Amino acid sequence: MLILNGLVNGLLYGGLLALLAFAINLIFGVLNVLHLAYGQCVMIGLYIIYVLTILLHIPFIISCFVAIVALVGLNILIHVSVVQPLLKTPLLNQLIALAGLIIVLENVALGIFGGDYLGFNLIFPAFAIGEVYIRISMLIPFLCSLAALAILWLFLHKTYTGLAIKAVVQDREMASLVAMNTKQIYLITFAIGGLLAGIVAACFAPIYVVHPHFGLAFTLTAFVTVVLGGLGNLLGGFIAAFFIGIVSQIGAIIFTSEIGEILVYVIFILIILFRPQGLLGVKVRSA
Amino acid sequence: MLNIEKLSAGYGKFSIIKDISIEVADGKTVIIIGPNGAGKSTLLKVISGLLTPASGTIYFDGQRIDEKAPHEVVNLGISVVPEGGRIFPELTAYDNLRAGAYPKRARKHFKENLQEIFHLFPILKQRKNQLAGSLSGGERQMLAIARALMSEPKLIMLDELSAGLGPIVVTHVFEHVEKIKARGYSILMVEQNVLKALRLADYAYLLESGKLQFQGTEQDFRQHPHIRLSYLGI
Repeated sequence: MLILNGLVNGLLYGGLLALLAFAINLIFGVLNVLHLAYGQCVMIGLYIIYVLTILLHIPFIISCFVAIVALVGLNILIHVSVVQPLLKTPLLNQLIALAGLIIVLENVALGIFGGDYLGFNLIFPAFAIGEVYIRISMLIPFLCSLAALAILWLFLHKTYTGLAIKAVVQDREMASLVAMNTKQIYLITFAIGGLLAGIVAACFAPIYVVHPHFGLAFTLTAFVTVVLGGLGNLLGGFIAAFFIGIVSQIGAIIFTSEIGEILVYVIFILIILFRPQGLLGVKVRSA
Repeated sequence: MLNIEKLSAGYGKFSIIKDISIEVADGKTVIIIGPNGAGKSTLLKVISGLLTPASGTIYFDGQRIDEKAPHEVVNLGISVVPEGGRIFPELTAYDNLRAGAYPKRARKHFKENLQEIFHLFPILKQRKNQLAGSLSGGERQMLAIARALMSEPKLIMLDELSAGLGPIVVTHVFEHVEKIKARGYSILMVEQNVLKALRLADYAYLLESGKLQFQGTEQDFRQHPHIRLSYLGI
């Protein structure tokens, strides 16, 4: 059954989008900053994994681990050098600085690796349950993504640091009045973003090939997901990710993958037209 | 315990408070009264570290705190209930109390302190799993006070506790303050409800237009003609 296959593929794809959306929503909720260069960070992670595994023959799992650590470091660096100094400046400054970061990261990749595509070129098995085919290359990342999201959920709800993150999202001044170090929370949030970017890179590595402009396609999809779910709303992003995953994959299976993409954006535009705050977003009344 | 000397502060070019000197002794309740816009909330903002003073000093327990960040001030033992309570609306009442116990010293005794709080405020125990934003005004104020107590403070600062609450609720809220006072906490309270606030005061200050116009005991205030006329309606 075509649609069932589309559904399954959509769920698997949605699982990965959900990680991206979670990171972007978390960073936005805590710092009020849209991490525009997030796709590029994932791209850097992919380059690290490919270089270590293919050129240096380091085992895949270890390469992934190195990439995760490197991305945590990269995002901490981004936070300290680009985001934090601009936190008290107008929003436009922050957005432009991050957009500039996109260009910096892409050109660093271009300079070091050239424009060639780099990838694994592996063929992974698929198994069938009844009439539904499930690719291992999508199943494992999906399970990893779910596991990561579950651990993050536990972190947010059971630890004091998670509590601080939730408090800062709701009222950062009051959070500082209950002895929460908001500067530290900002840094930790960006570090978590880096961690998630690394996990996403590890999940993408078997499936995709990387090139310097890899980030752009995913950044667009990621931000559409986040806005559709309601900017800043973690659950909204989660739901929107699966929604977009399913729509694009069912569309791709019934028609073509291009039509699948178009379908996503058409539905996105329609939903936002009638509900600008997104599925679970909060309506902001203009003065 | 808290010693403020010649404190001046404002926002940019606007000077809000000038040359304020206030003292809160250990275990005492000090009230600051005054009209809207007098600078009472600004004063609390400076003490808690949210605002940097233009000049003057603040000493707490012998330590200078006027240059410290808010989370450092709270860690030293000053707890704040800001105007409106400002509980975290999308956290449960229980999580709000956990947030109050964020300082490391308070986390160690979380369970015992929680039982104490539930004993003092039984309604909070009932509503502990309810989202704080869905509580009534009086319950939110109660939660805000409880949250401030969870950090094991030495000094509690209360900003306009009675604001926006109906008269019966205000009475209940002030009863809670009496209970806290009875437990020996030092309290610095900013209030517009002069009548009710004076009854709790060991000492009081009158702040008008950013300057301290008068200070004294409850008796001094009750006998002062200007205060009787303008604030007590006598």
